[in-house]
Amino acid sequence: MAGEVGLQSDVLMEGTARPRTLHLKNLRRQWQILCLQIVATIALITMYVQVVQTYVVGSIDHTILFDSIELLISDQLPLGDWLTGEGRDGLSRFFVPMVMGLGLGGIMAFIAFQSPKVQQRIKLGFIIGLIVLLVGRLLLSWFAGMLFEFNLRLPDESELETLQWPLLMILSLIILFIYLLPVIMGTRGIWGLSRRSIAWAIGFTLLFLGIHAILTFPLIKGQLGSYGGVLATLESQTSDPTIGLFGLNLVTKEQFDLILIAVLIMVFQEASYGVIRNLEYAFRLPESCKRDPEYVRQMDNVLNTHLRHTFFFLGLTGLATMVALGFHKVLLTVVSDTTGSQWAGQVSESIELTLTYGLVISALLFLSIMAVLRFFIPWQRVIGLIQSRGVKDDTKPAINDFTQL
Amino acid sequence: MWTRKAAFTFTGGIALVLIGMMISNQQMMILGLSLVAFIVVNSWISGHGDVEVQRTLSADNLYKGDDLYVELLVTNRSNRKTQMLDIYDNIPHEMKLRSGLNQMQLNLKPGESARIRYVLRCPLRGHYSIGPVSLRARNTFNLGVEDMYVDHHSDIVIFPQIKDIEEAFLRSRTPKMYTGATTLRTPGQGSEFYSLREYVPGDPFKNINWKAFARTGELMVNEKCRDAVTDLYLILDSRDLARIGTVLKNPLEMGTVSAASLAAFFLKRRDSVALAIYDEKLSYLPPDTGDKQYFKILSALAGVTPKGTMPLQAVTNSLSGRFSRGSPVFVISSCEGDGTVPAAVRDLVGRGHEVTVLSPSSVDFERLVSRIPRMSYEVLKLERQNRLTTLAGSGAQVIDWMPDMDLSQALMQVRGY
Repeated sequence: MAGEVGLQSDVLMEGTARPRTLHLKNLRRQWQILCLQIVATIALITMYVQVVQTYVVGSIDHTILFDSIELLISDQLPLGDWLTGEGRDGLSRFFVPMVMGLGLGGIMAFIAFQSPKVQQRIKLGFIIGLIVLLVGRLLLSWFAGMLFEFNLRLPDESELETLQWPLLMILSLIILFIYLLPVIMGTRGIWGLSRRSIAWAIGFTLLFLGIHAILTFPLIKGQLGSYGGVLATLESQTSDPTIGLFGLNLVTKEQFDLILIAVLIMVFQEASYGVIRNLEYAFRLPESCKRDPEYVRQMDNVLNTHLRHTFFFLGLTGLATMVALGFHKVLLTVVSDTTGSQWAGQVSESIELTLTYGLVISALLFLSIMAVLRFFIPWQRVIGLIQSRGVKDDTKPAINDFTQL
Repeated sequence: MWTRKAAFTFTGGIALVLIGMMISNQQMMILGLSLVAFIVVNSWISGHGDVEVQRTLSADNLYKGDDLYVELLVTNRSNRKTQMLDIYDNIPHEMKLRSGLNQMQLNLKPGESARIRYVLRCPLRGHYSIGPVSLRARNTFNLGVEDMYVDHHSDIVIFPQIKDIEEAFLRSRTPKMYTGATTLRTPGQGSEFYSLREYVPGDPFKNINWKAFARTGELMVNEKCRDAVTDLYLILDSRDLARIGTVLKNPLEMGTVSAASLAAFFLKRRDSVALAIYDEKLSYLPPDTGDKQYFKILSALAGVTPKGTMPLQAVTNSLSGRFSRGSPVFVISSCEGDGTVPAAVRDLVGRGHEVTVLSPSSVDFERLVSRIPRMSYEVLKLERQNRLTTLAGSGAQVIDWMPDMDLSQALMQVRGY
């Protein structure tokens, strides 16, 4: 779809005023679309930072890998420390690479909107550049040597050593690319309107979380020995909650970070897919509909709703998860406060409750209650009451004007 | 109803919770719980189809090939937003969208209206109904979907196309040639004097009254009374065989066009026109004049479908008694698969009717859809030619109407009226 954007022409009516139409060229500059794309980008960056902060920094981050490689080859890698983040502490190791990843993703998105011919030229240029980078110096010194010595020979050791720098450079870039894959593909997906890239970004993140979860499983971690020791492990038994609502502490800081990761993945997914879905719909409309003010108005309605729901429902999802995780404590507090019995205190000290089983069972119980509540609480009517209050009657008189068609 | 996405999200969420429990991993459990919470929270609000639909058509009756302008006004009658609502106006598959779109994705506020406008091309005659309006309410994140429909229909009749027939081809050879013919006191082609009027550019010189010119000094022309032929009978073959050919080009389609065009032409001349359609049964519209008869004929022709195997002789036996003596009869039939055609035509001619057989060439129509070997085609054509020659021998005027031939061009083969 990205390739088609350039082919569409904008529409100008008589006079200088540019009418609002549903041509992709116009729509991509519409504030709701831009807002959704910015929200998706912020969600992507924040999610990445959260994942990196929780699982990667200080345990398996790229600087540690670079250090190991440098130790192995007894030499410095071609990429500068300022660029890789080596020598810095904590999350700051990822700042420059992340900016690079965002830039690369942006460039890839920009390329996606060029004509197929330009895209092909860029790809060709990239491949030629890579080949020149890899073997350019070797070929130049080898051929020059043969030419000056008037001797047909194989490249000598010093000439072969010229391959080391480009190989290490490409290796470093590949390592950085793998670390930054969610950022690069995510940015490309959001701004280049590519579902596949978004799926890559989410899929890679989930794959990483899955592999990490398996590797940190005590049985497997034990088998990994010293390698497993460096992996950041999340405690299965939670400490006392510190974050909550209305004076009720529901979740711990660690749990909150994990909820944040989950919600941000969803925000990223829904905002970016929402943009693509709506732009695809607009793209498929025939020319006459793209210019029809009715379609433009309804597209505005749909986008505004999407924007509102992204904030409201995903925020609510985060809150619901928080309450679900702290629901066992809420239940015990209620029992303790209402009955004043010892039972609540005894149960709250039970290890089974704070372990996964009790936590999950109470959380699922809360979510089930919430799901059933919709049959008892007329949310639709409540929302309807709020919505009908704020709406003016803007019904227009029917006019049978088919001139636009 | 849950969408595939919702089902996957929920299943994924539960799976992550279970795996998280198995390997004591908080992240998996929390991710799973968040997915389940996402489904639960989104289930609170769903779209609705409480909308009022009003459809306006540019016309209730159209001619084949014309454009129909449709406007659908959708109003949210509820006190809450519709959420994501896909509106789809069901149109007959015979009609083609020419401009606009018969669907829209919208989210109406309480009381808000949206107009969907589109233009349909109607390439086939018939009685059609536009509607019902299908609605699909969706959740913003496409987690829930509900299909509904508003039972709102608009009926429309597509008449057969009316082709122009030149007066010259169907002019009366003899004034008042038929018994009971009435002289219409209206100017037109004829022989009796009607009145004098001033010459206007374009009038033929032979009509100039030179004596009046000599007397008054101004060019005057003679106007004649139009010769009327009173009743005209159209017999249309709508048997199952008439469907041979393509959907747009087959003997029945050409027959309806010719019947409608002839009826239009003669009714415009204030003649009476009767229509008999025979398929599995006989439908007869007695002769009458005027716009009402014109509408009746067109409506009858719009609803014609090929069926049945009624022979022509059964039609003529049943109707010949009702035919005015000596009145012209048009038989529009491919004359295929009916051995009674020569006898029926002979019978009509014998009763003093001026019979014209307008015969669409079914062999050539069949050739449009299937490959007929050259030899077989030649044999079939020869058989058809023999059949038509027999009819001509009976005293009828026969027109062999080829698929690519225009009606007026076909009528040039006969100059009887």
